[in-house]
Amino acid sequence: MDSAPWQADIEAARQHWLAATAGCAQLTALRSVQVECLGKNGAVTALVRRIAEVPPADKRAYGQATAALKAACEAAVAARHAELEAAEVQAELDDDTFDCTIPPQAALSGRPRPTGHLHPLCRVQHEVEAVFSSMGFAVLDYPEVESEFNNFEALNIPSWHPAREMQDTFWLDNGLLLRTHTSSGQVRALHTFKPPFRAVFAGKVFRYESTDASHEHTFHQLEGLLVDRVVSVGHLLDSMRTLLSAILRRQVEVRLRPGYFPFVEPGFELDIQCQLCGGAGCSACKHSGWLELLPCGLVHPQVLRAGGLDPAQWQGWAFGLGLSRLAMMRYAIGDVRLLLGGDLRFLSQF
Amino acid sequence: MWVSWRWLSRWVDTEGVDPVGFAQRFTCTVAEIDRLKRWGFELDAVVVGDVVGVAPHPNADKLRLATVDLGDRQTTVVCGAPDLRLGMRVPFVPVGVTLPSGIVVKDGEVRGVRSPGMLASEADLGLSDNHDGLLSLEGVVAPAGTPLPRAIELGDVLYEVDNKSITHRPDLWGQYGMAREVAAMLGRPLLPLDVTVPLGQGAPVQVEVAAPDACPRYVCARIAQAKVAPAPVDARLLLRRLGVRPINNLVDATNLVMLETGNPLHAFDARQVRGNRIVVRRAAAGETLTTLDGQARTLTPRDLVIADAEGAVALAGVMGGQNSEIQPDTHEMVLEAAAFDAATIRKTAMRLGMRTESSARFEKALDPELPLVAARRFLQTVLAWSPGAVVTSDLLDAGPCRENPPTRVLIRTTTAYLRTRLGVTADELPDAWIVACLQRLAFAVEHTDDGALTIGVPGFRATKDVRIAEDIVEELGRHYGYGRIASAAPLIAARPPFTSPSRVAERAVRAALVLQEGMTEQVLYGFDHEGHRARLALHEHDAPRLGVRNEIAKDLVRLRRNLAPNLLAAAEQVLTTGEGKEPPREGLTVQTFEWGRVFVPSPPRADANDRERAALDLGAPPLALDLDRVGERQGWFTLMDADMRDAVQGTLDADRPLPWQPLRLGVVCGERLGGGAEGSKRVVPERAASQRVFGQALSAVHAAVRALGKPPLQVVPHADVPAAGSMPIAAPDWTTSWRHPRRCVALVTTAGQVVGLVTLLHPDVRNRMQAPAELAVAELDIDAVLALADAVPMGHAPPRQVGSALDITGRIAASTRQADVVAAMTRAIAAAGLPLEQAGYLYEAAQADGSRSVTWRLLCRAADRALVADELARILQVAQATVATFAPVGSP
Repeated sequence: MDSAPWQADIEAARQHWLAATAGCAQLTALRSVQVECLGKNGAVTALVRRIAEVPPADKRAYGQATAALKAACEAAVAARHAELEAAEVQAELDDDTFDCTIPPQAALSGRPRPTGHLHPLCRVQHEVEAVFSSMGFAVLDYPEVESEFNNFEALNIPSWHPAREMQDTFWLDNGLLLRTHTSSGQVRALHTFKPPFRAVFAGKVFRYESTDASHEHTFHQLEGLLVDRVVSVGHLLDSMRTLLSAILRRQVEVRLRPGYFPFVEPGFELDIQCQLCGGAGCSACKHSGWLELLPCGLVHPQVLRAGGLDPAQWQGWAFGLGLSRLAMMRYAIGDVRLLLGGDLRFLSQF
Repeated sequence: MWVSWRWLSRWVDTEGVDPVGFAQRFTCTVAEIDRLKRWGFELDAVVVGDVVGVAPHPNADKLRLATVDLGDRQTTVVCGAPDLRLGMRVPFVPVGVTLPSGIVVKDGEVRGVRSPGMLASEADLGLSDNHDGLLSLEGVVAPAGTPLPRAIELGDVLYEVDNKSITHRPDLWGQYGMAREVAAMLGRPLLPLDVTVPLGQGAPVQVEVAAPDACPRYVCARIAQAKVAPAPVDARLLLRRLGVRPINNLVDATNLVMLETGNPLHAFDARQVRGNRIVVRRAAAGETLTTLDGQARTLTPRDLVIADAEGAVALAGVMGGQNSEIQPDTHEMVLEAAAFDAATIRKTAMRLGMRTESSARFEKALDPELPLVAARRFLQTVLAWSPGAVVTSDLLDAGPCRENPPTRVLIRTTTAYLRTRLGVTADELPDAWIVACLQRLAFAVEHTDDGALTIGVPGFRATKDVRIAEDIVEELGRHYGYGRIASAAPLIAARPPFTSPSRVAERAVRAALVLQEGMTEQVLYGFDHEGHRARLALHEHDAPRLGVRNEIAKDLVRLRRNLAPNLLAAAEQVLTTGEGKEPPREGLTVQTFEWGRVFVPSPPRADANDRERAALDLGAPPLALDLDRVGERQGWFTLMDADMRDAVQGTLDADRPLPWQPLRLGVVCGERLGGGAEGSKRVVPERAASQRVFGQALSAVHAAVRALGKPPLQVVPHADVPAAGSMPIAAPDWTTSWRHPRRCVALVTTAGQVVGLVTLLHPDVRNRMQAPAELAVAELDIDAVLALADAVPMGHAPPRQVGSALDITGRIAASTRQADVVAAMTRAIAAAGLPLEQAGYLYEAAQADGSRSVTWRLLCRAADRALVADELARILQVAQATVATFAPVGSP
């Protein structure tokens, strides 16, 4: 059977467009070839549409042939596209015209300098550290991956202790853990410093906890530790009142109530008088006049022992301050996840 | 946990105390009160009614007409309660009454029938949220028409105590323990629990405690001729308002006694105790038990079960088995009142996800004496609630505790020590007050005139809670009132405080980068985000990262080893979305940095020990300070008690060194290359844009090093970088998928140590970004930089001679590094014996043929004389000749 005239057309189109595709040396050229060939008004698209003019007997064969043509062109364009992209990357990699010795100031000349922004957590951390430093506290920095011993045992939280459940912990595949509180630095400080001493250490802590507007698996704390020959509840009260007044920049009234933390005895929850109502009671403080701020207490003798000190000779107080919470209070941040979320639009406010 | 003021008042006289006002004091003395609820007030208008007639409602199937005798009159009202029946005693609410639940009773018609009043459910009266049926007043003796508050116990104040604040106080998990605290606070006597009950003879069942370590005490008794019925209305309402659903008198009795004493109880149907035998044992591996909630539980040998002669009938301390529960026709039962090992119960409850009222209490370590009290209270209650019931056995006391009661905890201290720790004087807190306070809290106190104290801790405080003198400090402090303690400033010698070098360094660097360089500070997660890494093909080739065993999300399975990936994610986001309301524009820039720790799991290398120490001990002071403490300490190990030593030994044996956690500075700078809709297209960055973002990142690193007071780092182009193997182990990874193989530099110390890098983003990674952008990444190892000697500036006098500046422009090949030209010019001018102080790049212009036209500035100065025109001309000549040697091939 003689081939129909349209068969030659299709074959010609195939050869033309495959050659055109292969001949493209640039991605831009390939894009225009793609439009000319397969676009809405492209040549192959037009061929496909011409099925209306084909005699009924040929329609089936014509349809198959144009579909195959279209597929072949599409495949060729895609393949060429990948080749050109790879070539483009390769050309970039081979290009040696980049001069890494140009002084940065010269490369940037003429560009206005952008405005920088301090992270709210770091602002708060530095402010608080500065207050403590001015009062004679050492400012320390301790690792985030910790041993079970420093995070639990040394803090009088042996493995059977229910407190281990309250602290939902990230365990690492090397058997270590991500510290669940900055208290893990207590035994490090006790071992390092000659008593009497006082120190603060802040940083990231980690809890295996699902997140919402007020819960994060990673947040920031600041631990305070003071060791001296005689340390009483009266000393703790005085220190807390003074320090918190300096941090919150106003005269603060505090109260202690019983709280349970294995590494302090006695242990307290420290409340501050509500700043909104001045203690009269309002919705912010659940009408109690007091806001729960931080846990604290006198260092448990067991912790002093783990730190190499004889509790008959030395006593101490300790507290843990939630820096994330403080930052949220200070800057009216409603969602804790914003702090570590990395969104520059959020950070550019600070 | 809920505390009922009315219940407490059975044992302590609370006359004249306002429980609402008292709550604040309670919070400061005992435990935090989350919520306070008034219960059962304003019901004076409600009266007791007897249902004397029940008739169908003419117009409704589900409603009926109840005729109620109110003593002085009868009335007929419409009632929808399904449990309405003739002879019932129910609360009747007359017309015109507004109930605490908000319901207003009107004299209206219900489906065409007048209803002057209503019969009420618990929910209607605001007593609970139960509206399944009418509040049944069966058993109430008051005559019909008696106001409800005079017929049953109404009016209570409930405290909801934060459970977390009593995890260390097993005694406070019962109302009686709370009453003890309230009595001590008020200084009023506490009535003892009445435990008199007529007992029978002989053993209730055969009991074998096969796991004595997990069950110190197992107390049993048998009751016959009991009858299952509802408990009295007062008891039912009491259970309800404390959060327990009433079931029947026998089960309710176990719950009531649990709430009262804190000791959970269990009652078995005696018919179901097969072989008349009870064994307390560990479960067999794979043993199954269907608990009361209908769930089949598969057990392990770490679980404790109560078994009869044939198999388990209860999961000890957690939940009873379905096979032995009290049935409607139960008439004979076996009571269990036991003490179980706290850790065993806690582990079972956790593993099976069954935190019950019972397990919550057992895991607090209950007093092993308590089951004897709880058993008697239970028997008493059942005899009262089920007339005719008799205790047919003696109390059987099994388990090791009877033979070997726990050693009494004795604390020896002095009143002076207790006062010192509180910070109060003997006038403020006299010995007599201390003794009286402790006695009110049931401590046995021996006191001598010199203030020596021997304090016997009561069993219910001795299991975990009170062991040392500091615990006594807490008892006294909270009852004395912490608010009454005068502040005292600690006395510590004034010395300049030590500050960790890393903290000092961070302050300096962030100030320089934010204020000078205009960068935004980031604090990002310590986890890598695997989804993000996969999308951008970010990886460190085969360099291992620390894995998390219990990840919180499937993308957060590893700790970061480099700062770049998370910083890139944050930069990509703003480059894609733009800064705010406007769509992202071309030329939008980001410049961010993070100061943070990364985690390198590699095992320590001998030569890296000091660096490892540096990475871990940034909090440690210099060695000189450290030496001071020698001789001050005892061996810390010997100071610990036996429990702790065992735990520590385990930790030490494991011998796991901490991984390196070096501090790094990470920098990402980027610039968007297209705006709006065009922006989605892939763009090859122009060279100027690449130089800009690279320059910005490099500038940041230089600024950081300068802020740290260290000598500038050398910038070594990629080709000249030593093999990766020679780099310090904690330095940023050199071989990563995001480093551009050519457009990168190493940052090298004068000693030849690589401490960081600056690179453009690899095009493969860049092309995967959601926005067309050019980005540069820098990472610097802070520990290594801090280890360098400080750059101390030299105070040279300013030069006396004014120098001359010569600008020189020349064409160089595109691939020529301008620094090579500068070096060649400097050498040539020096070789010609001419004075040149400095040569520096100024600017350049790209040429049509691809070459570069670069302008440099030469600063010429001689220390001792002004330069003459001829010298300057020669310098210019030499420089031009040198630059010409770099001219592109074929240029004129």
